[in-house]
Amino acid sequence: MTGLVRDLAALVDPRRVWGDVEDLVAYTNDATHRRELPAAVVAPESVDEVAAVLRYANGRGIPVTPRGAGTGLAGGAVPAPGGLVLDLKRLNRILEIDDRNLTATVECGVVTGDFQREVEARGLFYPPDPQSLAVCTIGGNVATRAGGPRGVKYGTTKDYVLGLEAVLPDGSVISYGGKSVKMSAGYDLARVFTGSEGTLGVITKVTLRLLVLPPCRRVMVAAFPELDSAAEAVSALIARGAEPSMLEMLDRIAVASLQRYLPLGLPPELEAFLIIEVDGHPAKVEEDCALVAEVCREYGVHEVRVARDAAEAERILQARRALFPAAARAAPNLVIEDATVPRTQVPAMVRAIRRIAERHRVLISITGHIGDGNLHPGIIMDRRFPESVRRAEQAMAEIAREALNLGGTLSGEHGVGLLKAPFLEWEFGEAGVALMRRLKRAFDPHGIMNPGKILGGGMAGVRD
Amino acid sequence: MYAIDEFVGAIRHCLQCNFCLSACPIYREELVEAHAPRGRLNLVEATLVDQRVAPNEKVRRRLDRCLLCASCARVCPGGIPLDDVFLAARVELSRKPGTGLTERFVVRQVLNRRVTSSLLKRSLSLARRLGLAPSDIPRVASTSFTRRAPREAAPRGPTAARVAYFVGCGTEYLFPDTGEALLRVLPIHGIAVVVPEGQTCCGLPALALGDLDAAREAVEVFLAVFAALEVDAVVTDCTSCGHMLRQKAPRVLPPDDPRLKQLRGLTDKVFEVTEFLAGLGAQRKPPLLDVKVTYHVPCHRGWSEGVAAAPRRLLAQAAGVRWTEMREPESCCGAGGYFFLRHRNVAERIRRRKVEDVLATGADVVVTQCPACRYYLQQALADEDEPRVLHPVALLAGPEP
Repeated sequence: MTGLVRDLAALVDPRRVWGDVEDLVAYTNDATHRRELPAAVVAPESVDEVAAVLRYANGRGIPVTPRGAGTGLAGGAVPAPGGLVLDLKRLNRILEIDDRNLTATVECGVVTGDFQREVEARGLFYPPDPQSLAVCTIGGNVATRAGGPRGVKYGTTKDYVLGLEAVLPDGSVISYGGKSVKMSAGYDLARVFTGSEGTLGVITKVTLRLLVLPPCRRVMVAAFPELDSAAEAVSALIARGAEPSMLEMLDRIAVASLQRYLPLGLPPELEAFLIIEVDGHPAKVEEDCALVAEVCREYGVHEVRVARDAAEAERILQARRALFPAAARAAPNLVIEDATVPRTQVPAMVRAIRRIAERHRVLISITGHIGDGNLHPGIIMDRRFPESVRRAEQAMAEIAREALNLGGTLSGEHGVGLLKAPFLEWEFGEAGVALMRRLKRAFDPHGIMNPGKILGGGMAGVRD
Repeated sequence: MYAIDEFVGAIRHCLQCNFCLSACPIYREELVEAHAPRGRLNLVEATLVDQRVAPNEKVRRRLDRCLLCASCARVCPGGIPLDDVFLAARVELSRKPGTGLTERFVVRQVLNRRVTSSLLKRSLSLARRLGLAPSDIPRVASTSFTRRAPREAAPRGPTAARVAYFVGCGTEYLFPDTGEALLRVLPIHGIAVVVPEGQTCCGLPALALGDLDAAREAVEVFLAVFAALEVDAVVTDCTSCGHMLRQKAPRVLPPDDPRLKQLRGLTDKVFEVTEFLAGLGAQRKPPLLDVKVTYHVPCHRGWSEGVAAAPRRLLAQAAGVRWTEMREPESCCGAGGYFFLRHRNVAERIRRRKVEDVLATGADVVVTQCPACRYYLQQALADEDEPRVLHPVALLAGPEP
């Protein structure tokens, strides 16, 4: 037993501390290709235990990487060398669902999908729907500002955080916000922690805003012979007030990889496929469906189809959720990009991505939440070959730069993590990044919290 | 061949999405990623593929803590055969001499030899006294099934089909009543049954131990006994035997084995008995019953599409049966073959969840097509007012004549 493991075992139940390499290999990574072996894993069951571990690590300058389900797409949960992994999945109680104030208070390790089921059983609605929702956690969602297809109408996790509790590296516990819908007191610490990717402290509890579950939902599929016309149709139908709750685009490569997994019966020779969902009151939904079909036809749609029933709708949505993993059949590994541009720039962005793919001789499938300009180019690579990884990461860098040129952002919903840390200055400039560094120092003077993430440094050129 | 080399491509293809996390019954109880499919896969990669970590006893123990329920493989969007990877890893790791001696003895000398119940009982009680076997291993039926069963059963009326009955070890030693019910039910539906002599185990217990030689021996006996028979199908009452014969057996023989084609032809004809009956249209109604029934779906159901649908189709409509679904009919019961004997604590926690689900239905009978599930669930439902656990054919057969 190492000294570190012995010390941790004095702070929490020894059965929740791991130091054997045979256990640690399960915690080396998230859903990216970066891997790093931690020195130990500890799974606290209470805020007090989180505080005790942080106080200990802070005193000794040991890096700490908070972890939810390890499904992140930016390397945010990859441990720091010689560091601790703080596995937060045991803090998994739903503390309250308040159907009169329309709020819920949950611990950070609550699984997003479980929470949604609980909420929906009461006729309430928590819209953020990251595609890993069957396993990912609310804490991880808040820490990365996770989004999902419904973002186009309902926004992302950041739009639902009313308040939170967090533990700072010195073990002190802060609490900001709560059930009040309005709040104008002090710096918005909840917003600061939201999207902080574990670099400031550990989010342990969150109060979330809820909506009332829309009574009716319809899913449609539209196939376009050309991408530009699909993109124009998207802008037009939003401008005309259709308010889709989901507006997903798949390109030919993506549809081909899905066909094998879940046949959608889509004509494979077409360029762009849209998955559109509308929700709300039945009459408005009917109206929106008609409007969507009409606009699609105006823009030269090849075929537009409304799902016959809930089962068919679920099959279509399931296929969309399976997109990222289904690509595993096409490629050994995949880097999922997350560049986001204003909606009108989507066609320009798609063209740029195709140019980049050609230049670096990589295969890139283009999918994404076209309704909010959040594209997810999937760069196919093989992590066994450094040359393949290098080309993929170079393509990724250029996609990021291109998104910024078009007035967009590095990340719509995955976060910066390790993978995009080197690009941060492109978006925020020297002064912006310097301020972020000072902010980090104010929270975490010894730099123990998830070093290398967002702001880079230390782990920037981390080995694969 | 279950060599790890065959699976390197599959291991490298894992996108690490971790969607398998919630499907793993062990993870669900323990919330530890080292005891979840992706964690296990990464351990296999680190030890047996990249050789960054020594394949020691600690590795073996972690990979042993897996039910081999294949739930992860079923939900994997990338289609990675995770349970096969874990089986291959067990085969590699068990090459070290001295591992699992007692279990190996049972597999090789008992299951693969089909010793009589009385001999098995005597040796088990000796083993218990010597401390080689736990005190609560299943009680063996007084006479093993094939000792007392007829060699064949003639159909009533015209012959609709001819089948050979593969008698699994569960029916042979623990639940001969399932075999008796099967031999009553099939003839009623015009099916002629032969019970071939010389048959032994399907080989899954051996494979789960990583004992590839013993698994191969079992598959070879299966081939020798069943290949020559002129039958339309081989039926089994055990979903795990079906899982082994249909999906795993062909991988147990070397890829250049000349018998492989013959074996594939044979394993394609393997059916779970209720699925086979439902497929024939089973027009005869079961006898009038007055029971409330719920259904526990065995984990080893992926090998044939109708396995989980058949009992529902045959029984749910039957007169007098009040069919009731539990909340999570497909969740594991914790048995995992003999997993529950080696990992009692976690198995019991998994079972507790299942038992609560069963009791909430208020059913009189739980049906399931896996003898391990049946045994393990019945142990926890031992009170008189608690439901009995039966194979669906027992209900189809009605009370004994």
